[in-house]
Amino acid sequence: MSIFDNLVAGLGLVANFEAFLSLFIGVIIGTIGGAVPGMSVTMTVALTLPFTFAMTPITGILLLLGVYKGGVFGGSIPAILIKTPGTPASSATVMDGYPMAEKGEAGRALGMALWASCTADLISNLSLILFAGFLASFALSFRPPEFFTLILFSLTIISGVSGKSMLRGAFSAVMGLLLATVGLDLVYGTNRFTFGDPNLMGGLNFIAVLIGLFAIPEILSVVWKPGDAHDRTRGLGKNWVTFAEYKRSFKSIVRGSVIGVVLGSIPGIGAAPSAFLSYSEARRKSPKKENFGKGEIEGVAAAEAGNNGVAGATLIPLLSLGIPGDVITAIIIGAFMIHGLQPGPMMFVTNADLIYGLFIGLIVSSVFLFFIGSAAIRVFKFVADVPRSILFPSILVLCVYGVFAVNNNIFDVGVMFAMGALGFVMLRNDIPAAPFLIAYILGPMLEDNFRQAMLMSGGSPWILVSSPITWVFWGLTALTVTAIVRAGIKAGRNAVQKAVTEEG
Amino acid sequence: MKLSTLGLASALTLGLAAGSALAEYPDRPVNMVIPYGAGGATDISARTISEPLGKAVGQPLVMSNIAGAGGATGSVAVQNATGDGYTMLFARVGTHSVSPAMKATLPYTLDDFRFVAVYEINPIVCVTSPRSGITSMEELIAKIGDGGISYSSAGVGSLHQLSAVMIMREFGIQDPLSAATHIPQKSGGAAATAILNGTATFLCTNSSAVASFVTGGQLIPLMVTTENRVEGFDAPSAAELGRPSLHQLVGWTGIASPDDLPDDVAAKWSDWMADATQDAQFRERMEARGSIIKLMSPEEANAFIRGQYDTFRTLVDELGMRIEG
Repeated sequence: MSIFDNLVAGLGLVANFEAFLSLFIGVIIGTIGGAVPGMSVTMTVALTLPFTFAMTPITGILLLLGVYKGGVFGGSIPAILIKTPGTPASSATVMDGYPMAEKGEAGRALGMALWASCTADLISNLSLILFAGFLASFALSFRPPEFFTLILFSLTIISGVSGKSMLRGAFSAVMGLLLATVGLDLVYGTNRFTFGDPNLMGGLNFIAVLIGLFAIPEILSVVWKPGDAHDRTRGLGKNWVTFAEYKRSFKSIVRGSVIGVVLGSIPGIGAAPSAFLSYSEARRKSPKKENFGKGEIEGVAAAEAGNNGVAGATLIPLLSLGIPGDVITAIIIGAFMIHGLQPGPMMFVTNADLIYGLFIGLIVSSVFLFFIGSAAIRVFKFVADVPRSILFPSILVLCVYGVFAVNNNIFDVGVMFAMGALGFVMLRNDIPAAPFLIAYILGPMLEDNFRQAMLMSGGSPWILVSSPITWVFWGLTALTVTAIVRAGIKAGRNAVQKAVTEEG
Repeated sequence: MKLSTLGLASALTLGLAAGSALAEYPDRPVNMVIPYGAGGATDISARTISEPLGKAVGQPLVMSNIAGAGGATGSVAVQNATGDGYTMLFARVGTHSVSPAMKATLPYTLDDFRFVAVYEINPIVCVTSPRSGITSMEELIAKIGDGGISYSSAGVGSLHQLSAVMIMREFGIQDPLSAATHIPQKSGGAAATAILNGTATFLCTNSSAVASFVTGGQLIPLMVTTENRVEGFDAPSAAELGRPSLHQLVGWTGIASPDDLPDDVAAKWSDWMADATQDAQFRERMEARGSIIKLMSPEEANAFIRGQYDTFRTLVDELGMRIEG
């Protein structure tokens, strides 16, 4: 069968009311689930799964994919409005989205988030359809040594999100690395810093750390400084993003989407690192570097492109190899198996109509996302109008509830408050939270992959330079570090010169 | 999640109110703890049986995922609950035979629980990549003798690690810990990926976890640990290979309660499980995922789990694999 025949067969499968309706409903559920702090996309997809049992395969899987797509965008709504990433993937959106909301430009930020998300989603879906085979073989060449070098390179993002002071950024990252060591050691299985408490054996709950670090300090600041515009509402501001702004950010959006597609097709990395990498690349390339972190709309675009770019690409290893790229696709693979379908290379032969049906559904989902996202922004804009004295207590309640609901564990709520206190101290001392988060995500991956690589080679470090992929990432790391050092020296010189001229 | 939390809260309040009343059990919703995260194998199994089981029980089942520390967090939550039949646990091979055998610091033992049923058996299969050039257990064992062979797992102290070690030992390798290198991964999915991309040589895992790879020709099955062959896997069974002691090495899911559960309540669960596992739709869904539906009575379940634990514990102690820290 040619691609055309497959497309027709696929169209026959999806061209019915139920399929599109379930996709539509899925995007709505996802957007809402993603927008509720603590209710991650993963949980929303898992809760939707049982409803798909009774559906036909294509309808059920489209429902889940809709939830997935909607959720990744939905997470950006609370990230921008209340500085609480609805999902881990939208943490990078906070950095410029929230300052924009503070300036009364929440509408513009949300609009840009939606446009960037839809564009990246479309690029990601097209890459899945066109390059699945090629990217799948690429995904399989990532073994621990390649992962190690990729993550080492990704850690250079820290310099991009450190804000004014590199030293403070590094300090924040070190704290993140330190807290990430809590839990079971991967290779020996021994307890690290658990103090004999079973609650600590699994490490600190990521959602609790995330919400504690971002949302709680904001709430504490309001309590700390009462009377400071207490009942001020921020409003949504100028309602929509302009096409000129979209055009200006287009390069960053495409770059972010490509980063998302590449990282998404490699199993096990996830959307958060991709969003951060896209953000820091956009900042590095931008002429308005200074503006990043203070409410630069291109920053929002880059971050959202980075995380939505992953959403289609994670299906590449899923459909072509049968490997789930992250926790969400692992749940979706369960939906396939419930219906007696086995994702993998054979599926393109045995169920080609289904695969092409899914492709058509995915393309349509980007369009649905655009309309549902626009509607969601109109609904959620009332959040921006709520006076702070009502908004912040409500957020606190949501955070406590959301963190508890992840594992039904009260200990996690304690972790959230402890992290909140730490985050507050950091906020008061101008220590940025983003490097902490990146280190917290990437640190354990770096360690695990290093140790796995050493186990593979029997302790020989040469395995870390054994393949072309590792050379590429070593090269990129060296280039980036050189650039950072040079920028640092230049900034230092300028400061000295400035001081000299001022004296003279 | 909202519903389940609400249910949990109302279950607790009702529990306080009805504590002294001697109503017929069950007169309020039953809290069912799943010790692993949403969407995992245990979660899907639990939610699939919850449908017919809820009908049999006649009261709502409140499913709550209490995940963390390889299932220990959720197990501890049930261990500390009252044995009144209103808090039950989905026990799994990992939480109730592998972990107790492997981990010295585990905060619970088998004696803290009473098992009312085991309802699902998952065959274990050993697989390798076609690139390894290995096509049978015999060849694998020969290669292990030559050295340089590694195996992946879902982590230290996982069923995967224990299975690989037990199988190597059963095939005559005296010191499996030094004969082959263990390369632990973060999850069962990652363990399979490690074989596909060549990080490790072989993996022994749930048949359902690798079924699609075997069908697609990406992985070669070497053996299954059950008595009979498993459909879809062109590999000899342990019985055919003359290793019947490996039949004990299987995954399972069951239902457990705190150890002070009254006998009449346990008997009721036994009946309900008998009803629920007869459900055609339940069977169909579970079998599509590669599970074997086999209901054990409380006595059979206890004997089975104890037997498996003892076998694992003996092996772990002999080889000095127990994790002390």
